Amino acid sequence: MPATTRLSVNGHSHEVAAAPDTPLLYVLRNDLALNGPKYGCGLGECGACTVLIDDVAARSCIIPLSACEGRHVVTLEGLGTRAHPDIVQAAFIKEQAAQCGYCLNGMIMTVKALLMRNAHPTDADIRETLRYNLCRCGAHVEILRAARRAAGLDVESDDVRA
Amino acid sequence: MSVPEPLKGSLSIVRVAPSGADETFIAIHADGRIVAYNGHVDLGTGIATALRQIVAEELDVVPQRIDLVLGDTARTPDQGPTIASETIQVTAIPLRTAAAQARHVLLMRAAARLDTPVAELVVDDGLIRGRDNHSVSFGELVAGDTVRLPLDEDAPVKAVENYRIVGRPLPRVDIPAKATGEAVYVHDVRVPGMLHGRVVRPPYAGLDAGDFVGTSLIAVDETSVAHIPGLVAVVRIGDFVGVVTDREENAIKAMDALKVTWKPTPRLPDLDDLAHALTANPSTPRKLIDKGDVDAAVAGAATRTRRTYVWPYQLHGSIGPSCAVADVRADGARVWSGTQNPHWMRADIAKLLGLPEAAIDLIRLEAAGCYGRNCADDVTADAALLSRAVGRPVRVQLTREQEHVWEPKGAAQLIDVCGALDAEGNIAAYDFATRYPSNAAPTLALLLTGTIPSQATTMQMGDRTAVPPYDYANMRVVVHDMAPIMRASWLRGVSALPNTFAHESFIDEMAAEAGVDPVEYRLRYLKDPRAAALVKAVAKRAAWTPRPVRLPREPDGDIVRGRGFAYAVYVHGTFPGRAAAWSAWVADVAVNVATGDVAVTHVTVGQDSGLVINPDGVRHQIHGNVVQSTSRVLKEEVAFEPATVASREWGGYPILTFPDVPAIDVVIVPRPDQPPLGVGESASVPSAAAIANAVFDATGVRFRELPLTPERVRAGLAAARRPEPAKARKRGWFAGLAAFGVALGGLVLAALPWRGAIAPIARPDPSVYAAETIARGGELAAIGACAVCHTREGGAVNAGGRALNTPFGTVYATNITPDVETGIGAWSYPAFARAMREGIHRDGRHLYPAFPYTHFAKATDADLQALYAYLMAQPAVTQANPQTALTFPFNLRPLMAGWNTLFHRSTATFTPDPAKSETWNRGAYLVESLGHCGACHTPRNALGAEKASARLAGGEAEGWEAPPLTALSHAPIPWSENELYAYLRTGESRVHGVAAGPMAPVVAELARVPDRDIRAMAVYLASLNPQALSASGEAALAAKLEAVTATRVIDASPTGSRIYDAACAVCHQVGGPPLFGARPSLALNTNLHSAAPDNLIQVILHGIPKPAITDLGYMPGFAGSFSDAQVAELVHYLRAQFAPDKPAWSDVAAVVGRLRAAPRP
Repeated sequence: MPATTRLSVNGHSHEVAAAPDTPLLYVLRNDLALNGPKYGCGLGECGACTVLIDDVAARSCIIPLSACEGRHVVTLEGLGTRAHPDIVQAAFIKEQAAQCGYCLNGMIMTVKALLMRNAHPTDADIRETLRYNLCRCGAHVEILRAARRAAGLDVESDDVRA
Repeated sequence: MSVPEPLKGSLSIVRVAPSGADETFIAIHADGRIVAYNGHVDLGTGIATALRQIVAEELDVVPQRIDLVLGDTARTPDQGPTIASETIQVTAIPLRTAAAQARHVLLMRAAARLDTPVAELVVDDGLIRGRDNHSVSFGELVAGDTVRLPLDEDAPVKAVENYRIVGRPLPRVDIPAKATGEAVYVHDVRVPGMLHGRVVRPPYAGLDAGDFVGTSLIAVDETSVAHIPGLVAVVRIGDFVGVVTDREENAIKAMDALKVTWKPTPRLPDLDDLAHALTANPSTPRKLIDKGDVDAAVAGAATRTRRTYVWPYQLHGSIGPSCAVADVRADGARVWSGTQNPHWMRADIAKLLGLPEAAIDLIRLEAAGCYGRNCADDVTADAALLSRAVGRPVRVQLTREQEHVWEPKGAAQLIDVCGALDAEGNIAAYDFATRYPSNAAPTLALLLTGTIPSQATTMQMGDRTAVPPYDYANMRVVVHDMAPIMRASWLRGVSALPNTFAHESFIDEMAAEAGVDPVEYRLRYLKDPRAAALVKAVAKRAAWTPRPVRLPREPDGDIVRGRGFAYAVYVHGTFPGRAAAWSAWVADVAVNVATGDVAVTHVTVGQDSGLVINPDGVRHQIHGNVVQSTSRVLKEEVAFEPATVASREWGGYPILTFPDVPAIDVVIVPRPDQPPLGVGESASVPSAAAIANAVFDATGVRFRELPLTPERVRAGLAAARRPEPAKARKRGWFAGLAAFGVALGGLVLAALPWRGAIAPIARPDPSVYAAETIARGGELAAIGACAVCHTREGGAVNAGGRALNTPFGTVYATNITPDVETGIGAWSYPAFARAMREGIHRDGRHLYPAFPYTHFAKATDADLQALYAYLMAQPAVTQANPQTALTFPFNLRPLMAGWNTLFHRSTATFTPDPAKSETWNRGAYLVESLGHCGACHTPRNALGAEKASARLAGGEAEGWEAPPLTALSHAPIPWSENELYAYLRTGESRVHGVAAGPMAPVVAELARVPDRDIRAMAVYLASLNPQALSASGEAALAAKLEAVTATRVIDASPTGSRIYDAACAVCHQVGGPPLFGARPSLALNTNLHSAAPDNLIQVILHGIPKPAITDLGYMPGFAGSFSDAQVAELVHYLRAQFAPDKPAWSDVAAVVGRLRAAPRP
């Protein structure tokens, strides 16, 4: 049995018996039975696995368990529930900002991290922040609307590019 | 209080399936549940919501009341695979009819129960009201009896004008669960006792036909994974190989470690020249239409035009690699799958396992969007095989790389068009031939296990929208059906996208030649009134201005803008097929004529899809089609290398990202009186031609091959070609040592090859040492980073066993814990000091200079004593390590005596320089003695000794370059004392980068060293770099370097540039969104400015798995994701982009190969 690592996830402390080099993603999904963070690439490229570590967006597929000792991890489940969604989750639900929804975790968590460091982002800030979150269905238009809604921007503002 | 018995009774509408079993469409239960069944699945398009609307409308209940079951083979009707946008258009029809029929039955019963004529009954959300305000619920009406009525296909459905639910927006039913992390996807299935599996695929990536398929495996070496914890099984059946373990991360380790030997397999055909490959592939012509006399019309025409259009292989590119769970027992199986064809899948599993279909329950759960057929079927079969092998439920997750490489690709296509204009500028003849390599892509496990023969199958799928929508008088359309070249399957729009690219580009070109506005020209030939109405509506919405002649554009700097039109109707199914929604695009583009970048800035897209079930759903599908097809047109092309599919992650196959998403204006033509049509694909179909026509409008150049990458556009615009990089190179340390053995023979005689043993002692009692002494020794051990070399991966600290790879063989670090038998517990201080100063083992053996005693000799006696005290005070660990056994002559340890005579003449301790400060001297002492920085950072001579004349001028460590620490440094910003301090203290210098490779654990050890010593080392090392700038000077230079490298270098490797954008920039782009960890700026990074690419390549291949401190974050290694050629392209790009004043590196590909092959510590 490998040594245990103590980490805080969504405000709860957990002892996890896994090798220290285990990517955080597998600990969250398999040991803690969380569904929010998704395996997308294992290389930090697509953002589907995004969580917050100490309030900063982090790609949990490339961060080992050992790095999380004593840190605070927040996943999609830690933001809110269907009955009480977080403001970002509520914005994504309102704007129907998903097709298959597999990338949705990363979109919501990345926007959440943006709003935590910048409560008043511009439309350009939102696009740049989401640049490294991939969506294959093409739900980008709705996702941008959801992010604008969460940021308190005009959702209807035309997203015409220069 | 007792729980009441559930109410019994139900009303079902069923159809007898070909198998003889009943298939249920609607079941209304006594407890009020209304369950609707459809054989299709929701691929993320929202049909689960739209189907509920359809059923709710017919039954007059709120949609939320409908329980919808999709794609469960035990429960839903077999309605074929979810393809061709047919769910709403086709498979919803019996469901709607069944709902209408059920409603009619309920009304009849209610009329009797309420004594009210049917005409007077009112249905209100599952409650039927009659006279005198009496009412009865659906549940009450079906209670008591189980009634199954055959589907009456003629049952009258509700009139459209009475619709209250269909035709109005309804929020997607699935999004709240997805947005809050509820278990939704097949990836989220967790079954008690579930194990984790991974597969190891054969080397013939992407080929699924030929006699080597299923017959290429030679051997699986199970001992290679014997060390993996929790290993349950290694499974091998034909060419199918998989591993099963208790935990997912262990399955990954086993997959990576498993040694599998394969026979040589065929190389891929050369797909760099797709047109040639598609022409050379044997084919059978199939004439779809031959109208008028094409040959005569061509012969008699005023002008003739021949054009060829090339469409690349593309990926479905699901954002989540496929996953499945299977629980196979002797008598049956349950399988959880993300397949788009549950019933086909069940048949495949039955065949694979030799079980009857009825013994298999295949439960379809949502997966990542697939847009056609990805690896969902493959992984389902993989899970079944692995579960059967271990007798327990097994979850199999494909890797990103496996999904990219093995997914059945969207097929490439080649289209030749010959057209002729008459004197009036009319199209007199249209001769169209399209080549489409087939796409059967049988489920991989069936092939790998030899369950089915690996024969290429030719399918007839190249004909989608092959017949143009235009009424040309003389027209011939031929499809050349052919076997696959690469493993392929249908991808959104199938052959209709490439065929339409040709139709719509060609008519645009003919319009220009005829001098007629392209929209007007299309309307000449568009006889379908709904099509013409759509074209006009979209042109109007986009404020299309007639452009009979292309006028040169006024450039705005390097940007020219243009606008293009295209129209299509997506015809799917077996020829002549069935039309889905009509679609038309007006695309606005901005082309940078200097860089070749094409931006699609705005798309006006119109659609006629008949009756719209859910306007929001349709609009979202149109948005998705526009974004995805824009991505396909601008960016997407599977890259191949001679032996493999090269696109293995998003850097090798970039897709459109948020900043490049066009603004989209959707026009939905209202046709509530017309049957609903599929909307899943239609809006993709005009994309390519609309964009290419806009690029023509902007630039005057026609592009007939996709994607419209910057280099293709630049080439098309006849931009200057980029020059070849210059050549220059050197090569590393120890390599000249081959001469060592013979030369040394003579020296041995002159030296003292044999030294006496120093008698063993009982292990010293550490309590005799003062705590301060032990603590001091601990700091010195950290400065010397003893534990870095003397601790093996995952082993006890200082217990040795770490393999140090040298050109002469492997040197194993020894156990330096105070264990008497296997460590240094029996070593007296004199024995320890002799080893440290002279490189002699207690027993008299010579140690190899991998142990840097030439440095340690300079340490003071007091420090060595403190170090000794510290080591003796540590826990003793009994660990015998492998003996170092170098090849002859290096196995002759006495030879080291001669080496010492040459290179270790002085064993004197460090002598301070009185002219320098105390801090400087302290730093010099630590660096030169216990710190032994020169062991890596000083170049070595042919005999492996540090060159005295080139102290700290740059050396090598474990295949990494140890950069010069002197004025010879390649760092673009000279190292200052403060930055050296920051680097040694935190592992990161803001103007240089982070510690990686062998330096990361050294910095991690330094965490135990007090600030004053770190500062002293920084002071000394800074004195070797006299050019250092002030802090503000550094910041200014950093800003300047980042500014000048911020503009994309146009002639750097396009492939490398794309890899950087999609794989590296997320963590390295200056100013990018914050992520956990450091954001090293490549423009400032020493490795990019070095004379050799080694460190850059090392870090790309192997990443930074153990940073000096966890705050720095982690870099994944890309060795398993990038080919050598891709790494080389990336390295060339990075050098050109971020070190523009340095010459290009040469022989990069060879260095990549060498470093990849080198054994890793």
